[in-house]
Amino acid sequence: MAADTRYATQEITAIRRADGESRSLAATLPRLVLEARRIAANVIHGLHGRRRAGAGESFWQYRRFASGEPAQRVDWRRSARDDHLYVREQEWEAAHTVWLWPDRSPSMAFASKAARDSKLERALIVTFALAELLVEGGERVGIPGLMRPTASRTVIDKMAQAMLHDDAARLSLPPAFVPSALSEIVVLSDFWSPISEIRNMLAGLSSSGAHGTLIQVVDPAEESLPYSGRVEFVEPEGGGTITAGRAEKWAGDYVARVALHRDQIRAETNKLDWLFSTHTTDRSAAELLLFLHGGMMVSKATARTTTVKAGRSA
Amino acid sequence: MIAGIPLSFAEPVLLLGLLSLPLLWWLLRVMPPRPRRIEFPPTRLLFDIAPKEETPSRTPWWLTALRLLAATLVILAAAGPIWNPQTGIAGSSAPLLILLDDGWSAASSWDTRIKAADELIANADSNRRGIALVALSEPTRDITIMPGGTARVALRQLSPKPYAIERVETLPAIARFLKATGDCEIAWLSDGVDTGRGVEFVEGLGKTIGDRSLTIFENGAASPLALAAAENAAAKMTVKVLRADGGIATGIVRALDQKGSPIGEARYTFASSDRETEAAFDLPVELRNDIARLEIADERSAGAVQLLDKRWRRRAVGVVSGSTNDTAQPLLASTFYLTRALAPFADVRLGDRGAPQQAITQFLDQKLPMIVLADVGTLSPEIRERIDAWIEQGGVLVRFAGPRLAQADDDLVPVKLRRGGRSLGGSLTWEKPQHLASFAADGPFAALSVPRDITVNRQVLAEPDAVLATKSWASLEDGTPLVTGEHRGKGVVSLFHVSADMRWSDLPMSGTFVEMLRRIVDMSGYTSTPGAGVAGETGTETVAPLRTLDGFGAFGPPPSTAKPLPADFRDRAAIDHPPGFYGPADGPLAVNALAAADRIAPLDTTAMRARHASYTNAEPRDLRGILLSSSLALFLIDAIVVALLGAGIAGLLRRRTAPAALALALILSAMSVAPSPTRADDAAADDFAMKAVSQTRLAYVVTGNADVDSIVKAGMAGLTLFLAQRTALEAGDPIGIDPARDELAFFPLIYWPIVPGLPKPPQDAINRIDAYMKQGGTVVFDTRDAIDAPPGEGGGSQTPGMLALRDILSSLDVPELEPVPREHVLTKTFYLLRDFPGRFTSGQTWVEALPRDEDDDEQAASRPARGGDGVSPIIITSNDLAGAWAIRPDGQPMLPLTPGEPRQREFAFRAGVNIVMYTLTGNYKADQVHAPALIERLGQ
Repeated sequence: MAADTRYATQEITAIRRADGESRSLAATLPRLVLEARRIAANVIHGLHGRRRAGAGESFWQYRRFASGEPAQRVDWRRSARDDHLYVREQEWEAAHTVWLWPDRSPSMAFASKAARDSKLERALIVTFALAELLVEGGERVGIPGLMRPTASRTVIDKMAQAMLHDDAARLSLPPAFVPSALSEIVVLSDFWSPISEIRNMLAGLSSSGAHGTLIQVVDPAEESLPYSGRVEFVEPEGGGTITAGRAEKWAGDYVARVALHRDQIRAETNKLDWLFSTHTTDRSAAELLLFLHGGMMVSKATARTTTVKAGRSA
Repeated sequence: MIAGIPLSFAEPVLLLGLLSLPLLWWLLRVMPPRPRRIEFPPTRLLFDIAPKEETPSRTPWWLTALRLLAATLVILAAAGPIWNPQTGIAGSSAPLLILLDDGWSAASSWDTRIKAADELIANADSNRRGIALVALSEPTRDITIMPGGTARVALRQLSPKPYAIERVETLPAIARFLKATGDCEIAWLSDGVDTGRGVEFVEGLGKTIGDRSLTIFENGAASPLALAAAENAAAKMTVKVLRADGGIATGIVRALDQKGSPIGEARYTFASSDRETEAAFDLPVELRNDIARLEIADERSAGAVQLLDKRWRRRAVGVVSGSTNDTAQPLLASTFYLTRALAPFADVRLGDRGAPQQAITQFLDQKLPMIVLADVGTLSPEIRERIDAWIEQGGVLVRFAGPRLAQADDDLVPVKLRRGGRSLGGSLTWEKPQHLASFAADGPFAALSVPRDITVNRQVLAEPDAVLATKSWASLEDGTPLVTGEHRGKGVVSLFHVSADMRWSDLPMSGTFVEMLRRIVDMSGYTSTPGAGVAGETGTETVAPLRTLDGFGAFGPPPSTAKPLPADFRDRAAIDHPPGFYGPADGPLAVNALAAADRIAPLDTTAMRARHASYTNAEPRDLRGILLSSSLALFLIDAIVVALLGAGIAGLLRRRTAPAALALALILSAMSVAPSPTRADDAAADDFAMKAVSQTRLAYVVTGNADVDSIVKAGMAGLTLFLAQRTALEAGDPIGIDPARDELAFFPLIYWPIVPGLPKPPQDAINRIDAYMKQGGTVVFDTRDAIDAPPGEGGGSQTPGMLALRDILSSLDVPELEPVPREHVLTKTFYLLRDFPGRFTSGQTWVEALPRDEDDDEQAASRPARGGDGVSPIIITSNDLAGAWAIRPDGQPMLPLTPGEPRQREFAFRAGVNIVMYTLTGNYKADQVHAPALIERLGQ
């Protein structure tokens, strides 16, 4: 019970700090503009054009009337100026829904000495900053199971409010839900759950065809196991323990095991054409944000070839 | 009780628990420390890692040692340690026999001894055991078993005896008691001193007690000190300080007079293994004669007191010789033999000036207690009356025969003499030289052995009468007396029938002569007792005890056991004769606990089969509390350490503490051994001295003004170079000195540039300069400002430098000065000079004024060179000599000259050479002017 209370306090602190930090972080980045990956029209109109003709309100271009088109498309005012027929095209405006999932489970509260922030703090900062950027870019941002997608300018406040008043269990992975096919999913977690759970989650989220990014936020200590002597390791969530007589002897095997775990995750994401990257908390949060920004700016195809690694490569 | 340490355990069995420590050690080494608990999110991944074969991380050794120490303390505490345990003898219910040393040697630590006995009695009493208390000084008392209360009362009544006890004499009583009692336990409270028959007692006691248990208390009490063999030697009063072993190494012996007021103190120091040493009182003989009691300060025992009586007085003896040629052949003179014979125990005063009458008068005026007249003939009636009166008042007159006495006729002899000497073995006689036959048994020489090798060639004969035999103190083989004596009033008249030199007998050359004189001197100075050997008296005089010492060395009324003793008693004190003063109050006889030849030795009891115990001076103390609380503290430290280790500072501690502690220790030790500044000063002073004396060096005073100092340094270097080029003096580099700090005696010449405005040197420095000048050094004061002198008469003495110099000289003892006269030796020591230019030429050079011989002015004027008796200690100039001498390293002059005449610099250097040569050779050149004349004379 005490641990729960402690964790709750930690979370509140983290949210408060992340609130402030994320705003400044977001302010430093250029407007995040997502490219629509889907050509199909979106029923929900966004606020900004897509630099291409489509359904929208603002003028995009006049083009010659092609035969076979419905005659009602002809813009007669323009066509009256000369001998040709013109069609007035609007700029395509579409709003994107981005689902963000910051892992707020107890394991995220871990922070070793080498790290600047706890993993939770880092995840929240990036989540808030990303949300701010996305909203400013006209996207809608939501947290599965916690906050419905919104394009409110005060998205950070809303998110923080929602988190503070959230009394559900803190899950590592996002709950099973079906996002729309056009939505984007960003999962910030440490992904220390068994690979089967991760696989299930991915299967659920991608079933509708949504695209996503998995960011593994890890502490530097989790990368290298920098302990020595007789150490009892305790799992913050499951409560399982294991005692290492000489922890320094375990480091090698541990690093190999982590690499294997990541390979497994990466194999899953590659199958689904999702992005997977790792981020250590001793790196700057802006780095991760830049990566996510970039990842959303470029098309999926190019993103595959120009993967920006955030943090140390796993 | 553990050997040497007053520590015992209530339950020693529990000490076996210490055996479990190795097991504990092993356990502590094997048991891993509690793991650190770390919340680690990817722990689940660790589950997949195959468990390693691990040796557990070891507990640090110092932590283990800490825990073991704590465990040891707990075990020790459980065993019930007691510091200074009760010296009770545990064991049977048999009666306890306590043997208690109570001689003088036990007195100094008597309280300790009584306390130990008291504890023994208390212990025995609590076990309802009978107690027998035996004071080893009382061999005759029966030994009875008493209950504890009675024994305690009996113990309180004991006090140390003021004499050395004979423990052996108690053995029969002990044997009787043991036979009657059967089983018995014995405790001997020994004082650890063997005053003679210690070994015998130890052996006897061993045999007597058989296999009964014996505990000997011997360590832990201060070993006693004693005084013996006080001697009033020629120069000082000495007394031997004795100790049994070890113990107090230094201390003070106090001398008190008859009334107990202190006269003097003397220190003594024992060498580490010595058992005896000497304390000497260096006091005037009159004071020494007043000493009645010597005692060791802070040592309360009769043995530490030495009482002195008249025998230790050093008496002044006047010796008067009637012969006239004594001084011509001093080694044949009678006074020589008398002086040598009397010197060891008396102060001899020779009446060698003037006639015998005058000398006797002088001695009588000085109220000497004894006068020796060697062959003094007729005396004037007045002198005779005075001598008579003096003898009546206690004077001792000793006369030696000789040609004059043989012719004289007076009554200052004990027997009536036949006129004329008797010659034996001469060419006209038929009798052989006589040998000394006997000393009168009742005479002062009674105890002396009769030497057979003394021959008497001549003597004066006494008229035979009825009392002659009783007046004879020594007689020859034919019955004629050699020494006669008689008491008159309070004094004594004695006559040696031979001369005090070798002409009549060889007695004066023998050791017996010295002893005989000593006995006679002993008779002088004490008057009311008619001493032994007085004519007409028989038997040995006995004297009653007057004041005696108790065991602690304090005076008290004589105890009932003290008996009168013969007046010539010289033995050590015993039960019948406790130490103290005997006889009349104004001339008592002293009896001491130790005779002159007595020494004390440690009592060796190691051969005995016995338990050896120590006296404990402190209350028993239960150590359990201390041990338990310290082990608790250790456990607390352990807990803190473990907590720190657990909190992850382990690495920090493990890796940094040891080096840090080591570094700290190193720093501390470095600080503690850092050389003290004084030592560094000494080394610097030594360096300076080595440097200064290894070569002749010119010295200059460092003023503190950097400009001046550098110029002066260059100047002195330039002069040194010039000297090396032109003269035989190859001096070392000049040295800058600080007159307040550096030793000046090394330098023949010190150049002192005066810088106006600088503070006057401290008086200390002035004093040293003064001493330097007095001891033959020369100081050249250079004010360097002749050019600043205001024009006009006396302007040269008004410059700022001159004023500053005047300030300095005001506290120096400066002789009368004068400008260097033309004929002064300073102008001629190497070069012939008229004046002493430097950078300037206008300044006047002053030296100590030469003594003026008013009478022969003409002769003085005709002398080409004059030098005083010594070297002028002071030369004052204002011409800035050093400035003219100063050269740059490239050999070029440093400063221009004023007025800059050609050869001015050369003459400046020449002036410097002359000054240096003057200080080195003195007035030698003044004498050299006569050389041609001398050589001319020699040539003829």
